Amino acid sequence: MPKLSNMIFRRYILVLAMLLSISFTTATKASAHSEEEGGLNVKELIFHHLLDSYEWELPCTHVKIPLPIIVRDYQGEWHLFSSSRLAHGEEYEGFKITHHGDNSGKVVGINAEGEEYRPLDFSLTKNVTEIMLAAILMLLIFLPMARWYKKNPYKAPRKFFGGVELLIEMIYGEVIKPILGKDAKKFAPYLLTVFFFIFIINLLGMITVFPGGANLSGNIAVTMVLALMTFLVINIFGTKHYWKDLIWPEVPMFMKCPIPLMPVIEIFGALTKPMALMIRLFANMMGGHMITLVLVCLIFIFSAFGLAVQSGTAVFSVAFALFMGVLHLLICLIQAYVFTMLSTIFIGLAQIHEHKEEKK
Amino acid sequence: MELFKPELGLSFWLLVVFVLLFIVTAKYVWPAIVKSVDERADLIDKGVGYAQEAKKQLENATENAQQLLVDAQRQQMEILREATQMKNRIIEEARSAATAEAKKVMDAAAISIEQARKASEEQFRAEVSGFALQIAEKLVRKELSDDKSQKEIIEKMLEQLEKQN
Repeated sequence: MPKLSNMIFRRYILVLAMLLSISFTTATKASAHSEEEGGLNVKELIFHHLLDSYEWELPCTHVKIPLPIIVRDYQGEWHLFSSSRLAHGEEYEGFKITHHGDNSGKVVGINAEGEEYRPLDFSLTKNVTEIMLAAILMLLIFLPMARWYKKNPYKAPRKFFGGVELLIEMIYGEVIKPILGKDAKKFAPYLLTVFFFIFIINLLGMITVFPGGANLSGNIAVTMVLALMTFLVINIFGTKHYWKDLIWPEVPMFMKCPIPLMPVIEIFGALTKPMALMIRLFANMMGGHMITLVLVCLIFIFSAFGLAVQSGTAVFSVAFALFMGVLHLLICLIQAYVFTMLSTIFIGLAQIHEHKEEKK
Repeated sequence: MELFKPELGLSFWLLVVFVLLFIVTAKYVWPAIVKSVDERADLIDKGVGYAQEAKKQLENATENAQQLLVDAQRQQMEILREATQMKNRIIEEARSAATAEAKKVMDAAAISIEQARKASEEQFRAEVSGFALQIAEKLVRKELSDDKSQKEIIEKMLEQLEKQN
């Protein structure tokens, strides 16, 4: 009996999905037709979702939350105003949002000659707000958690804190401690902050509507800063022996004296480490978002071939996008884990001590 | 390729927010949590160690107890055996002592019986000889009234005396 009901349930779901996709198709058909003149610019649409913006759209409405714009014009003056003043291509205090050229989608200023230029832009964009939200979220989770631990020594947390502790244990117990050994306590705060920050921004990126929806970890600026932090930690806390290996490695003299071949390779290696971190996280997270967008866009692209093709594509795309979404959820955790693990390994590599080498 | 161009504003804000977040969490959150987790792990490890030790001790104790029990049983047996031996010996001694006593008593009894017998025999003899003397006196008195027989008796007696000599 349960098997039968299960089958019925499955069939019901399938029919529902098909109905939904068909209604979705017919609904979008009209809008697609209306855009026929300009054509559906898939590239622009995808990039619009992947990139930053100056306002935050609320779900199911066309209401956009304006965010503050902070820019410095070419004369060195700072301007602070709401992004609602630039909506629909309006100009304010000599600034507007351009839709063409290299700075498409960005605030540009217009100088005395009437030319567009890119001002110093410290606006609190959607991404910046999301970063702040992630930080606040982290504090909201971890400050009470730390208090809980202080209140209940020698006790294991339950429920939500228990789940969070599982992650802490996964990072601290399984990665940081085995790799760094006695230095674990010294670097644990940084590595745990990095892990949870990346994990939370990844998860926020998975929420497609208002409180989330910013493609943060798929933004190269974000991954660059995070990689830079790791780079700084590696090199500031690197031991003497690490620096010696970097600049004057123990290789035959001809490889480092007239032409500093090995030092160049070593330094290049030190620089590629944060680069690898930066590009890995960026590409993985951006790829995950992009594939979902592309799959959904397929429905609109295939609308040109008629209703049947479009419905088929819709079912296929939605199913596949769902699958990719679930996979991406896993990747959110894995990429945060990988970033932290690689950071730990790189930090560990810079913690070599002379006497350890002698032992080997 | 805007996607690959890091923005200055975003980088700056992230840097600021991240550094602030790091400072706050590094001061108030991570050390407390890490310390707590470590301490708890240590406690659990120690607890497991204690439990193992206790188990080992318990096993030892059980073994000891068993050994003690066996020893005690052996001792008990020995004591019992000794007791039995002692009992037997005491009984034996008592028996022999009793036998000796009985013998002594019997001997004494025998002696006294003998004495009594002898005494009674003597008494009896004395009485019998008294009776015999009286009878003899009476007989003699009667016989001697007649001369003939007196002569005969004297004759016989003389004869007897002669034979004895």
